[in-house]
Amino acid sequence: MFRVSYKPSTSHWLFPPIILGILALLLAVMIAQRAIECRRTGRPFINREAMRFFEPGCDKLKLFGSVALFVLYIYAMEFAGFLASSIVVVFLYSVLFFGVDRLKELPAAIASGRPWANGAFKSVCVSLLLSVLFSTSVWFLFARVFKITLP
Amino acid sequence: MIDFGLLHLLMAFVGVVVGIVFGALPGMTATMAIAVFLPLTYAYDLHVSLFLLLGLYVGGISGGLVPAILVNIPGTPSSICTGFDGYPMAKRGEAVRALRIGITASLFGGLFSLLLLFLFTPPLARVALSFSSVEKFLIILFALSIIAALSKGNMVTGVFAGFLGVFFSLIGQFADNNRMRMVPDFLSVELRNGFQLLPVLIGLFALVQILQEAEGGMRDDAIGADLSREIRGFRFSDFKGQVVNLFRSAFIGTFVGILPGVGGSAASLLSYSQAKNFSGRPEKYGTGCVDGLVASEAANNGLTGGALIPLLSLGIPGDSTTAVLVGAFMLQGVQVGPLFITNNLDLWHVILSALLLCNFLMFFVMFYPIKYIASVIKLPKYRIFPVIILLCVIGAYSSRNGNMFDVWTMLFFGLLGYFFVKIKLPIVPFLIGFILGKDLEKYFVDSIKGVGGSLSVFFTRPMGWVIWGLIVASIAWAVYDSKREARRAAAGNGGAQA
Repeated sequence: MFRVSYKPSTSHWLFPPIILGILALLLAVMIAQRAIECRRTGRPFINREAMRFFEPGCDKLKLFGSVALFVLYIYAMEFAGFLASSIVVVFLYSVLFFGVDRLKELPAAIASGRPWANGAFKSVCVSLLLSVLFSTSVWFLFARVFKITLP
Repeated sequence: MIDFGLLHLLMAFVGVVVGIVFGALPGMTATMAIAVFLPLTYAYDLHVSLFLLLGLYVGGISGGLVPAILVNIPGTPSSICTGFDGYPMAKRGEAVRALRIGITASLFGGLFSLLLLFLFTPPLARVALSFSSVEKFLIILFALSIIAALSKGNMVTGVFAGFLGVFFSLIGQFADNNRMRMVPDFLSVELRNGFQLLPVLIGLFALVQILQEAEGGMRDDAIGADLSREIRGFRFSDFKGQVVNLFRSAFIGTFVGILPGVGGSAASLLSYSQAKNFSGRPEKYGTGCVDGLVASEAANNGLTGGALIPLLSLGIPGDSTTAVLVGAFMLQGVQVGPLFITNNLDLWHVILSALLLCNFLMFFVMFYPIKYIASVIKLPKYRIFPVIILLCVIGAYSSRNGNMFDVWTMLFFGLLGYFFVKIKLPIVPFLIGFILGKDLEKYFVDSIKGVGGSLSVFFTRPMGWVIWGLIVASIAWAVYDSKREARRAAAGNGGAQA
């Protein structure tokens, strides 16, 4: 029992099963601990009402939008290169994080003839400017000055 | 002699300033700063890079006190107790005084831990030099058992996360026989060497944070703090009667830093509670008492040197930030471990000099212009995080000199880390397990291959018995502490109900 079979040709499969065994054991202990705790306090083992993955008031648009934009960014880099895709994606992220719902204010702000008085219009313009500025600066610094390979 | 010039000074300065900004912005940490700036180290040699990275480390840990004092939101987990007394001081018109007390205590903590780093790392490394693969395996096992001992109330979960990290590190080719395992055929080229550390780090520490902030709506909680009202200024005499507190807190911070996977919040909490326990006026804590502020800040900067001790002597990172530093060393082909100082004496001197310089730079950069530095907490998150994403992508992409698979890896580990946060599986033990996993396997196989697979080899050497003793002690402590916590919680509930 206090011995493991060691063969050089199969030694790559020696350690992973041990770790998987430890993980299974620890998982069993965690489940047992939970069962004992539930029995002691009288709570159900699976409490569907108390189970929630997202925080109350979770901003799902920003959360899933972030992931979706990231995937888009990866594909865009392969298609359009680093600089162009970064300008677009940084701008989209800025708008997403600022609040997409505030874009509704834009038509009225433009129609009023004094768009600069509107916070959302100002923010979108600043986001556009900063996305160009930041992306170009970062690209210049890394790709040109430091000669780091970029997509 | 080490090379030192204007470039080194400039890099340290940039590192400290950027680190302070990262530390001062709630949701951004020193770990994130180093992970994001790692690609810059490709452009320079490791000497220059270390000035930048250690500047980010010291600045990132120190910057956390700014929002903790001004708006009662710790900028980093390590400043968790700073606001307990710093914020009440700020509210009564002593914001600048509180900030300067915190900055001075931070300098002391940083320098104290640097001294301990200088004194204890070489002898510890010398002891470790005599270790065979058996002891090396057991030391890594001990590091994983400490995670258990300090995962208060979550002992098993912490160890599970650590071993899950080990499991992920095993994916790819096994160096002994060059055979692949746990890799689907269509990824056999990309995952030949397993998941790269840098994209994993950035995913776990930057992307997870961004996803959490996105879930919370990217709200900026910081409210403008009034630094113009100053009813009492800072004097160095504020530290009168704080000498014992300073030394004790800096020591606690350094000690906590040495323990793998514990983190800055534990240093701050432990030091604060000890200062309160030993204080002749515990009732003053939480009302704007200098003692509490000094305890928290001396401890969290004590971490900086402490966390480097196990890294540079044993190759085991003391905290998440030093785990990222492992990435910097790996990228430059330098192996951290018992031979680090012997083989890289110049690098060892660079680390000591850079830490010394960065601590003083942190002090001068923060102490005098603190009123201006404090305004960084007003930077809106929706402007900063898109740029961070840009830097994350560069970091991941350039980890293997241009590989889009590493960007996907970063996204995968970002989502995995986010899932871990949701199911309350700690990320730091996972990362430590991931970093140490391959060595754990290597030393295990090396130990048994010469003895025909007999596991009794792990119980034959005296030093091995000492390490087994430490492992058993840490697990026994974990069980005892877990039960004590449960009893305390039950008593607290009982009291509340009564």
